[in-house]
Amino acid sequence: MLQTLPRRAVVALLALSVFFPIGLVLYQSALSGPFFMPHALSLESYAFIFNDPDFWQAAKNTMAVAIGMSAIAIPLGAILAFIMVRTDLPGRKWLETPIMIPIFVSPVVLGFGYVVSLGPVGFFSVGFQNIFGSVPWNIYSMASIIVIAGLTHVPHVYLYSSSALRNLGSDVEEAARLSGASPFRVARDVSIPMVSPALLYVGVLVFFLGFEIFGLPLILGDPEGHLVLTTYLYKLTNKLGTPSYHLMAAVATCIIAVTFPLVLLQRFLLKSAQRFVAMKGKSARQRPLTLGPWKWVALALIVAWLFITVIVPVAGIALRSVVSSWGQGINLLEVLTLDHFRAVFQEDTMIRAIINSILIGTLGGALAVGCYLAVGLATHRKNDLISRFIDYIVLTPRAVPGLMAGLAVFWVFLFVPFLSPARSTLFSVWFAYAIVWLAYGMRLIQSALMQVGPELEEAGRLVGASRARVSRDITVPLIRNGLLGAWLLVFMIFEREYSTGVYLLSPGTEVIGAQIVSLWASGAVDVVAALSLINMALVGIGLTVALRFGVKLHD
Amino acid sequence: MNTTRRRFQRGLLAGLIVAALNATVGFGSAHAQTTADVPAAQKEGKLVIYGVTDNEQANHLIREFRSMYPAINVEYSNMSTTELYNRFISESAAGSSADVTWSSSMDLQIKLVNDGYAQPHKSPETAKLPDWANWKNEAFGTTYEPIGIVYNKRLVPAADVPQSHADFIKLLNTQTEKYKGKVNTYDPEKSGVGFMLVTQDKQVNAAGFAELQKALGAVQVKVQASTGTMMERIASGENLIGYNLNAAYALTRAQKDPSIGIVLPKDYTLVLSRVMFIAKKAKNPNAAKLWLDFVLSKKGQEIIASKADLYAIRPDVEGATTASGLKRELGNALRPVEINTGLLTYLDQAKRLEFLKQWNSTVKGK
Repeated sequence: MLQTLPRRAVVALLALSVFFPIGLVLYQSALSGPFFMPHALSLESYAFIFNDPDFWQAAKNTMAVAIGMSAIAIPLGAILAFIMVRTDLPGRKWLETPIMIPIFVSPVVLGFGYVVSLGPVGFFSVGFQNIFGSVPWNIYSMASIIVIAGLTHVPHVYLYSSSALRNLGSDVEEAARLSGASPFRVARDVSIPMVSPALLYVGVLVFFLGFEIFGLPLILGDPEGHLVLTTYLYKLTNKLGTPSYHLMAAVATCIIAVTFPLVLLQRFLLKSAQRFVAMKGKSARQRPLTLGPWKWVALALIVAWLFITVIVPVAGIALRSVVSSWGQGINLLEVLTLDHFRAVFQEDTMIRAIINSILIGTLGGALAVGCYLAVGLATHRKNDLISRFIDYIVLTPRAVPGLMAGLAVFWVFLFVPFLSPARSTLFSVWFAYAIVWLAYGMRLIQSALMQVGPELEEAGRLVGASRARVSRDITVPLIRNGLLGAWLLVFMIFEREYSTGVYLLSPGTEVIGAQIVSLWASGAVDVVAALSLINMALVGIGLTVALRFGVKLHD
Repeated sequence: MNTTRRRFQRGLLAGLIVAALNATVGFGSAHAQTTADVPAAQKEGKLVIYGVTDNEQANHLIREFRSMYPAINVEYSNMSTTELYNRFISESAAGSSADVTWSSSMDLQIKLVNDGYAQPHKSPETAKLPDWANWKNEAFGTTYEPIGIVYNKRLVPAADVPQSHADFIKLLNTQTEKYKGKVNTYDPEKSGVGFMLVTQDKQVNAAGFAELQKALGAVQVKVQASTGTMMERIASGENLIGYNLNAAYALTRAQKDPSIGIVLPKDYTLVLSRVMFIAKKAKNPNAAKLWLDFVLSKKGQEIIASKADLYAIRPDVEGATTASGLKRELGNALRPVEINTGLLTYLDQAKRLEFLKQWNSTVKGK
C-alpha cells in the first residue's frame, strides 16, 4: 500500500493542476460575466458564438488547418527521422540543429519572417518577379497558412519518431535489406511501422496543434481576414469593447469538445502498443543503412525543406534586424544598422527577459521533465482506471489556446490565497508553461517508456526489488536518452513560448516571448526582429552545449 | 491646515488612508486631498504602474521621477490595452492591483473610472490642463497625440499625398485601381483604439463618414490589429497609405526610417490622450499622487515631448511635439477626444455590434 501513496499524490497534483484552471474556463463559459463579479448562470455565451457566422467560418478554417498540416507534417517528419537516424546520409551531424529551428522560433516571428521574404514586396518575391515576371504564391491565403503550418511542424514529428527509431535494433532493417528491399521500402515497411506508436501519438498531437495554432494565422491571416478558432477567440477580447471572458471561455470549451474524442480514438489505436516493444534485454547494435545513390535524393529533399521552412523566414528576420527599412525600391546596403540590437541591450527589461528566458528554459525545462517523468512512471505498466484517467487529462490543456490558458493560470494564482505570493515570480510562468506543454513532454516520455521491454522490469521485480526501485534502477536509466531529448525539446519550446506568459508578465517575470508580443503591438518590429534573433542564438547555444555534453541525438 | 492633516496622516496605516479617502469621496471632490504628501509617499517607498507605453519611452519619465524621489521604487509593467484592463479588474477583485494605470484606450479607462475603480486627486497641476482633459479630478489626459495619415514617401508621388480627409476620399475615388489593396487602417473589430478613432470620425465628420467608408471599401482596405504592423507594411511598400495612425508612433519610426511620411489632415485632426488615474485600492496612494503630479508638471511634460516621443498636453510646454506646437500648425482643426462618459456610448454591446455590422457591410463588403 505504501508504494501507491506517491503515485496517488502525483495523480492528485496533476489532476488539480490541470482541472482547476480548465474547470475555471468551463465554469466561466456558462456565466454572463466575469466569474469574480456579480453574474448569472446562463448559456448566452454559446448562443452568441453559435449565431456568429465568423465562428463557423473560423471552425471550418481550423479543421482545414488541422487536417492539412497533419497530412504534410506526419509523412515528411517520419521520412526525415528515418533518413537522419537510420541511414548514412552525408552531413547528418550538420543538419541536426537547423532541423530544430522551426520548433524554437515563435510562430509569430516565423510568420513575420515569411512576410519579409515571401510577402507581396518581400525580397524573395521581388527577386522572383524580376526573373519570372510574376509571383505564383500569395502568402496571405489560407493555403499558404496550411502549407507553412505543416512544414513548420515537421520537426515535432521528427523528434518523436527519431527518439523511437533510435531505440530500434538494426537487425530487422538489415534483414529487409538482405532480402533486397530498397532503403525507401525498408523505411515504409519496416522501420516506420516499428515506431508507429510514437507516430500515432504525434499524429494526434499535431492534429491538436492545428486547433491551437495562433501565431501564424494571426500574422498571415490578418490582411485577408482568414480566421481560425484561436484568432477568433483573440478577436473576442476586443470585439465587444470590454473583454468578454464568457465568450472566450465558450470558444475554448468548443475546442476542448472537439479534441476530447480524439483522445478516445488515440487510446483505441494504441491498444496494440505491446506489439512494438523493441528494446529487449539484448539490444542489437545499430548500424546505419547504406543509401547508395539514394542519398542524393534524400539530401535534396531535406535541403529543399530546410530552405523553405528555415532559411526563407529566418533570412527575412535576420535581414529585418539589421536594416532600418526594406521593401520596394530600397537599396539594402544603404540602410544597414545595428541600432536595433543596441536598443535591446540598453534596456533593463530586455536584459531581464533574456536572463529569465534562459532560466525558464534550462532549470524550468529540467524541472518540467522531472514532473512529466513522475506522471509517466505513475501510469507505466499499469492499465487501470488511474492510468486511463491520466491519459485523458494529459491532453486536455493542449486544447486550450495558450492565451486563455495563461489567463486561467493567472486567475488561479490570483484567487487561490496561498498561491498569490508566487504570482509575480517566475514560478507562475513556469507553472503555466509546464501545464500548457504537458501533452508534449508526456508523449516524449511515454513513447520512450513504451520501448522498454517488460521482461527487464519483471526481472527486477522477480529478484525482490520494489516498484520504486525498479523504476529508479531499471526503467529510468534505460530511457536516459529519451529524457535528455525531452529536456532539450522542452527547453526549446519554453524558450519560444509567447502567448502563455502574456498575463503573467510583471517586472521580474519578463520572458522574451511575452516581450515580443507586447513590442509587436506597439510597432517596434525592428526590435522584435533583433530580439527574436537573440532568442534563436540562445537556443542554438543551448543545443550546441547539450550536444557537447553528451546529450545524444545520435547513437 | 495641510500640516495638521499631514501629521495626522503619518500616524495612520496606509490602509486607513485609503479608507479615509474613500469616505471623502462621498462629499464630492472638494474634500479630496489637494497636494501629494511627500514624506508619506517616501514611506510607502514603492509605486506600481501599469501602462501601454513602451518601457523605453516610459523609462525617461521614471528615471527623472526616481532622481527626484530616490526613496520610491517604481515598478512599471508594459502591456496591451486589453491586458491592462483584464489584469486590473481581475486583481482588483482579488484585493488590489496597480497604484496607477496609464492607457491610450481612453474608453476603457473611463469605464474603469465610471465603475468606481479610481480615487480623486486634486492636483495643483490640473489648473494648466484643458478642461476636457480632467474628468472629475479622477481621470487625467497626459498627452496630446494627433492621429494622422501615414504614407510611403518613396512610392507615393507628392501630388497624391492627401492633406485632408476630403483629399483622401477623393484620391481613393479617382485612383481606385492604383490604390486597390494598398491602403490600410485599424481593424475596429480587433483594436479597441482603432474602434474608438473611427467612431470619433463618425461624430466629428458625420457628413463625410459614409463617403469615407465607401472609399475605403472601394480600394479594398487592408485591416490590421496594430500600428506596428500597419507601419511596417507602409514602409516596405506592400501598402502605400495608412489611415488613422497615431502620429506619435509614426514620428518615432520616421526618425529611423526615411520611407515614412506623415500628414495631419487640415480639415480636422483627431487627438488622442493617454488617460491616467489612481486606483481606489492603491497600496501606495501618496506615491501615486506624486507620480501623477510629476507627469502633469512642466518638467514631466517636457520629458514627454522631448524624450518619450509623445506629445505634451500642457499649453506652457513649447516645441513641435506639443499641444501648443500643434495649435500653431493646425489651429482649430484639432479635435481632441474629450475625456467624459461620452466615450462609453460604444461600450454598449448592442450599439457596438451594430456599428461593426454596418462597417463590415460597407467597408469589407461582408
